[in-house]
Amino acid sequence: MKKLTLVAAALCVALGGTAARAQDAGALLDLLVKKRLISDQEAEEVRTELVKESANTAAGKWKLSAPITELELYGDMRLRYEYRGGRLPSTNSGDFGQDHLNDWYERHRERYRLRVGLRGTLADDWFFGLRLETSASSRSTNVTFGGESSGGPFAKGDDGIFVGQAYFGYTGFPDFKFTGGRMPQPLITTSMLWDDDINPEGLAEQWKHTFTFNLGGGGGEAVQSYSKEGYSKEGKSVVAPAAEPFKLKLDVFANFAQYVYDDENPENPIGPNPVVGSGNGDQTGQKIPTTDAFMLAWQVGARLTFPNSVYVQLAPTLYNYTGNGDTFNIHFNGDPGGNQTGINSLLVFDLPAEIGWKIGDLPPMRVFGEFADNIEGHDRARAAGHPDHTGQHYAWMVGGAIGQLKAKHDWEIRAWYQYAGQFALDPNLVDSDIYDSRVNERGVAVKAGYMVADAISLNLTWAYSWRINGSLGTGGTGDIPINPLDQYQLFQADCSVKF
Amino acid sequence: MKIKYLALSLALPVAGIASAHADRLVIKGSDTLGAKLVPQLAEQFKAQHPGTTFDIAAEGSTTGIAAIIDGTAQIGMSSRRAKTSEVGAAASKGKHMKPTIVAFDGIGVIVNSANPLKGLTKKQVEQIFTGDVTDWSAVGGSGGKISVYTRNTSSGTYSEFKELAMKKRDYAPGSQKMAGNEQIAAEVGKNPNGVGYVGMAYIKASGVKALPVDGAVPSVKAVQAHSYPYWRPTFYYTNGDPSGLAKDFVDFTVGPGGQKIVAQVGFVPIK
Repeated sequence: MKKLTLVAAALCVALGGTAARAQDAGALLDLLVKKRLISDQEAEEVRTELVKESANTAAGKWKLSAPITELELYGDMRLRYEYRGGRLPSTNSGDFGQDHLNDWYERHRERYRLRVGLRGTLADDWFFGLRLETSASSRSTNVTFGGESSGGPFAKGDDGIFVGQAYFGYTGFPDFKFTGGRMPQPLITTSMLWDDDINPEGLAEQWKHTFTFNLGGGGGEAVQSYSKEGYSKEGKSVVAPAAEPFKLKLDVFANFAQYVYDDENPENPIGPNPVVGSGNGDQTGQKIPTTDAFMLAWQVGARLTFPNSVYVQLAPTLYNYTGNGDTFNIHFNGDPGGNQTGINSLLVFDLPAEIGWKIGDLPPMRVFGEFADNIEGHDRARAAGHPDHTGQHYAWMVGGAIGQLKAKHDWEIRAWYQYAGQFALDPNLVDSDIYDSRVNERGVAVKAGYMVADAISLNLTWAYSWRINGSLGTGGTGDIPINPLDQYQLFQADCSVKF
Repeated sequence: MKIKYLALSLALPVAGIASAHADRLVIKGSDTLGAKLVPQLAEQFKAQHPGTTFDIAAEGSTTGIAAIIDGTAQIGMSSRRAKTSEVGAAASKGKHMKPTIVAFDGIGVIVNSANPLKGLTKKQVEQIFTGDVTDWSAVGGSGGKISVYTRNTSSGTYSEFKELAMKKRDYAPGSQKMAGNEQIAAEVGKNPNGVGYVGMAYIKASGVKALPVDGAVPSVKAVQAHSYPYWRPTFYYTNGDPSGLAKDFVDFTVGPGGQKIVAQVGFVPIK
């Protein structure tokens, strides 16, 4: 018995005593039996002891179904103070007529958000993910403290938990990844087009291939490799950094997505199709097509990584829409009182680009930019009743960053300038913070972050914007209930914990 | 004084029950062990210990381990190791699952004796039982839709085979679940396209043949050397070290007399 106790103790020490490691002990015990150092019976007694020990650990009490090969619990929580203000114009103030010119509408909010997820891999190259989030909004996971209008102080009326992500997919074919469900954004994009809180619903197909060129000596030699890495822990699409030494690496990728933008219900109503209601200008009385709305994305791109960690990335993308759904089927107008959500005449070409480098012990630096052009922007302007403003069909941004936020004591500063024409982008998708989900705005934004600990970060964000065209509204619906939003200012102070 | 008499009058019947039960051994669990081996061991044991009675219920390893946890049997037969959850559940009830290896077994992959196949690889066995292949022609046979027979879910062999041969994957959707080894052997013996798995004691059943796996046949030598891929120990589980009649029966089982019966029944002796 003493021998068995010693063997068990040795295994516990060698294997760390955890539940998972206890299972690993089987191979060691089998080896000891094979070498006739212990008998089968003795091995069995040790095995049972180890199982008993592991059953009493926290990990040993979890039971996972057999197909799960890897499971990760992750999430974050954030506390935020936010100031958000918008100013009425100095002349006609839209929704407010000639009243309150130049007046500011301001909000101070203390907010939190919680996101908790499980993601993992399954046998035979399948994977899955589930993330629960606070807030029902597609473009926000924030809950405002004391925000309930009923239920007394500390009511829980808006502290609901919602399914933010629920997806699964397949990576069984080399270089390919297929995903279906409500998923992390598979496209490479920026906040100018897409709010990063949005988890699109539908299908995505991704392909990525890596060519590694060993330069030097007698000519280049190409080596192909493949990485299944596709999503960062933040749920954003990333291109993985090089895992092994190389001189030149080229990642070529293609991402395709078919998102269900809006479901029409029903597609075939009893009786005639519904018609556009009054107050919608020329559209009033027109029949509404009853079709689902889909958003299709076509992205191809490359990332070239040179020696010394210099990289260049381009990801040209085309977005188009089919159908109207039953929520977005009125033509976008963007002016006060007009429709702010229509998805008519949107065929957007987008080109996000980024160049990054790291020199010596200096923090990593990068410059980034994006240019987007709504190829059907002229039609969108005319449909909005502004044939004289068809030039508002493009958007762009340019900025730079220094530092990174990965580990304790890391810091980062980012700043950029952004310009978004009234008829350039889908106002239902643009970032809800910068600039309040609006288009026809231009301005600057600065973010600064510091990692207090590996899991704790502090972030400050400041943004200021101005209306681009004074004769148009600022399309989109944000937290500031005025249109046009002549000037806008945002300040956020965040403390986040990641786990 | 009255209390003394009352205590005595109560104590006597209780002592009587204890005495009556002292020679009765309740054994529950594995069909693999409980169908043939343990009844024969019990008969031999009874011959040496007159007055001993056995209550043997062979309804699957899960029931045997559960019986030790809830204290309804002195010995739990099992053709698989107790799971972490079972060991944890026992510990939470103050029980200590003590395994005793009583025999080795090889799980033989059997087909109808008319099947022309000469052997299978481990990969092919996995493909057949998970439903990745559904026709014999895909594994070198002469064609025909494969009929998979498995044990039922309470069987230790059911889960042991998943672990040993199927990388813990699920059985083919159309697989038919049988109550015991004999039923599987009987069905495969009747069905030219049948395939199943049974303990070594049943591989010589009428109308079936056991196929070599990766060239290894389920033989006594191969199982004792642990070179046959689908070998396994079989167990008696007790609550801590066995005592009394249970200890006598465990000792008898692992002793020379018991191991002789183990070999006669078709299992592999532990020594």
